[in-house]
Amino acid sequence: MTALVSVQDLTVQFRTDRGWITAIEDVSFDIAEGDCLGMVGESGSGKSVTALSMLRLHAKGSSRIVSGRIVHAGQDLLQAEEAELRRIRGRDIAMVFQDPMSSLNPVLTICDQISETLRLHQGLSRPQARQRAIELLDLVRIPDARRRVDEYPHRLSGGMRQRVMIAIAIACRPRLLIADEPTTALDVTIQAQVLELLRELRAELGMAVLLISHDLGVIAEFARRVIVMYAGRIVEEAPVGTLFRAPRHPYTEGLMAAVPALDAGPNDEPLRLQAIPGRIPDPSEPIAGCRFGPRCRHAQASCHAAAPALVSIADGHRLRCTPRSGGSA
Amino acid sequence: MTEAMVATSASGTLAPRRRFMLLRRLATHRSFQIGFAVVLLLALAAVFAPLLSGLDPSAMKVRARFKPPSQAYLFGTDMFGRDIFTRVLYGARVSLWVGLVVACVSGFLGAVIGILAAQFRALDALVMRLMDALMSFPAILLALGITAALGPRMESVIIALSVAYVPAGVRIVRASALVVRELDYVQAARIAGASQLRIMLRHILPNSVGPLLVHMSFVFAYSILAEAALSFLGVGVQPPTSSWGNIIAEGRDYATQAWWVMLFPGLGISLAALGLNLLGDGLRDVLDPRLKGVG
Repeated sequence: MTALVSVQDLTVQFRTDRGWITAIEDVSFDIAEGDCLGMVGESGSGKSVTALSMLRLHAKGSSRIVSGRIVHAGQDLLQAEEAELRRIRGRDIAMVFQDPMSSLNPVLTICDQISETLRLHQGLSRPQARQRAIELLDLVRIPDARRRVDEYPHRLSGGMRQRVMIAIAIACRPRLLIADEPTTALDVTIQAQVLELLRELRAELGMAVLLISHDLGVIAEFARRVIVMYAGRIVEEAPVGTLFRAPRHPYTEGLMAAVPALDAGPNDEPLRLQAIPGRIPDPSEPIAGCRFGPRCRHAQASCHAAAPALVSIADGHRLRCTPRSGGSA
Repeated sequence: MTEAMVATSASGTLAPRRRFMLLRRLATHRSFQIGFAVVLLLALAAVFAPLLSGLDPSAMKVRARFKPPSQAYLFGTDMFGRDIFTRVLYGARVSLWVGLVVACVSGFLGAVIGILAAQFRALDALVMRLMDALMSFPAILLALGITAALGPRMESVIIALSVAYVPAGVRIVRASALVVRELDYVQAARIAGASQLRIMLRHILPNSVGPLLVHMSFVFAYSILAEAALSFLGVGVQPPTSSWGNIIAEGRDYATQAWWVMLFPGLGISLAALGLNLLGDGLRDVLDPRLKGVG
């Protein structure tokens, strides 16, 4: 199976007052045609940086891609010409953001904004693009599309705007849709609707989806494979069932334990929320050995000495952790 | 107020276009109404000057020198017996024209340079230091120097004032463009594969010019004042062409005998400045809450 997009050893650094700090390091993963990959991690773990770097849209000047390859259709996007990249953005790889309230231009109508991509990439005429925009609004289940298409964004609710964003993203039938926290800014019922919509569109259009979220529930519901990021590195990658049933990395275990449960524990006491002790490390201070080491319950002396590599431990299951002595591994 | 309007119009059959909503809000804004009416009145008076007064603004009548305002001479006459009413009407043409052109030229340049500075960081430092240098001179002093160098003509006044008022416009546009370029919808446009130029013109510019429009209405007023000052100092519009500034300048020597010579052009300047300021206030009120109501 050849990958649609293959990210290899991607390392991105940010400029700060104290010099360059590493935001993500050695991030590698593949997305196959029609795949559905989830990416979890807490804020600052490098999820969005990874996504933006894939389109080479990291902030120029204040960040740089140090190494890596992003191979799409046999071409390394990191070496591609800007003009070539522009053709790929929006046509082959599209993206949906977290905040639908600020993702639409307030001075353009919905029609204008959907048409923009269509006219740019497919050279449609104005009336054709308008017709297509209406179809797309229908496709993302916006009622009364014919009327809505001429409205300005401020007249739509958050859920509606996110649907419009999705309509724009899928306008050119991209092979890959990157959804960066697409439901975080929405309330729970709308979240479910938007996820359902994404799922249906994925099936209908056969596109691959990279869903970025810090919400394990969203990931569990949507993804087939999950990548867990911690402090700029992939710590575990596994099929969704495996990851939720038998997480192997102590950090993943901690994340699972930190999901609030509604059931009561023994003696009818409500279960206490399990937290992971400590905080994510300051990226400007290098840590010798495993990045999760200082917070890890199972850490041994060897963990602090050398950083473990990301190794494949089963089919489709990769782990960045030293085998525990006497434990499950 | 926005909330209420959205709620009521949501039940209607057709969504009113946003632009029309802005216009409607402008139309109901009290100080905008007054300002607009004043400016419109002055502009109409300037345009239809030949119809309002049958006289020639430069025609002298030595026997009718220093006539106080009367039925025959509405605003009186000056030391050459020229009709002040006619001269003020024709002077309005010059003064308002200078104001309008300066506001448009400096606004246009401000928008172009401001957007470019915000978009291209390499250009930014250079351009902004240049603007700082220009801004460090008081506008009127800078304009005085430029008109002195170019020769006292209306065109020089327009060029001088445009140069003097560009830096403020650049700063305003750059500041809002720097905010807008980081917004999600601009990033979204990049992700959709839009080119730099397209992003600048279609996404950043329209969302950054609100404050500039307000600023332009004030530049309009400042330019009328500045043109009057330059003409008063003798480097502006030259006699016998009348402008509000040089009518006042000519009347200065006779201020004690013929107060009316200076009063009426002075009133014209005050009215124009007042009207434009009220209009600008209205624009500001309507354009500002947009960010709250829509954002």
